[in-house]
Amino acid sequence: MRMKIGFVGVLAAAALCLSGASVLAHHSWTAQYDPTKPLEVKGVVSKVEWTNPHARFYVDAKSAGGDVTTWNFELASPNVLMRNGWKRNTVNVGDQVSVTGFRARSGPQMAIAGEVTDGAGKKLFASSVN
Amino acid sequence: MCRRLALLAIAGTVVMMPVTVDAQGPEGGRGGPLPRRLGGEITAPKLPDAPAPRLPDGKPDMTGAWTGSIAWGNIIPALKPGETVELLPEARKKMAGRMVKDDPAVKCILPTPPRGAGFPWRIVITPTHAFILQEFWGHYRQVFLDGRKHPPLEEINPTWMGHSIGSWQGDTLVIDTIGFNDLGWLDGRGHPVSEKLHVIERYTRTKFGTMRMEATIDDPGSYAKPFTLQGEAELIPDGELLEYACSENNQDAPYLEGPADTRGRN
Repeated sequence: MRMKIGFVGVLAAAALCLSGASVLAHHSWTAQYDPTKPLEVKGVVSKVEWTNPHARFYVDAKSAGGDVTTWNFELASPNVLMRNGWKRNTVNVGDQVSVTGFRARSGPQMAIAGEVTDGAGKKLFASSVN
Repeated sequence: MCRRLALLAIAGTVVMMPVTVDAQGPEGGRGGPLPRRLGGEITAPKLPDAPAPRLPDGKPDMTGAWTGSIAWGNIIPALKPGETVELLPEARKKMAGRMVKDDPAVKCILPTPPRGAGFPWRIVITPTHAFILQEFWGHYRQVFLDGRKHPPLEEINPTWMGHSIGSWQGDTLVIDTIGFNDLGWLDGRGHPVSEKLHVIERYTRTKFGTMRMEATIDDPGSYAKPFTLQGEAELIPDGELLEYACSENNQDAPYLEGPADTRGRN
């Protein structure tokens, strides 16, 4: 799947990225996530929440022993994602993904996604944290 | 017509002169890694160095979607040169006790002006009112332009965004606000306010693509003297506001750790 991004969307996203006033999040990300604890998770998307203040998706990662761990990944808000080319069905349940980000300080298996790579190897913007 | 030509110029500039821009870094500044944009690269519009358009009555046309605010995470970098923030003892104590999880913004509660996030916003001006529409929180501010004065402070129900009246001083829209509650935060670090807070904001569209903003914070209940913050917003050509239902899936608050004055930076 190759997504086409509207020209207006490009302008809006670029203008947003030029703004230095905020990170377009409703909280300080370092208060919730630990910048010293990066992680990479490979697995299958088991749930998508296209919601505010942050979109989220859950990734089931299988260990070598067969145990499955479900990671709750925070993304940017749907508005920011859309201005960066996403649609609500860009990532779907059952998709194979690789996600890089940072672990939560507390809250088991919670993390913030910085970048998502889909099954075809395409890299997706996930938040301004990466 | 001029505006249309300018927009065409922007489009032409973008097509002919792709420019790579920096994304915001993890702490909210510039210089961070580029968003991949689905593996692609962002091209930034170069806004024309044209004057602000004007309405038939000669007033500057403030129309458009803008991005940028005076301050979100920390007011200190937004201070005008030479200005300082001098907390009174009680206000210092109040600020020191604030945790990131207590930030009203975390709970999707209305911001205390001039606090604002980087999401798009608009000013809609009518003969009697101005409305500032914010995508973030999906909220609005109502500013009376009909010449009325503030009611006596003791008669105003204290609120998060107060009672606002506006007037034009030359090409600058001046918004004067009192009637705040004492729960607001001026930034993510928890700079406090009292019910004595008086905010005077100045909005000037200095160029086609630039809105200069200033806000004087006069709060004798919190600060030893007034101080003025400044910032700029940038036009998003043909930008539109989108819905933002902040509280529909707000999972974050229980997991936010640390004091606001050290962790509330972004």
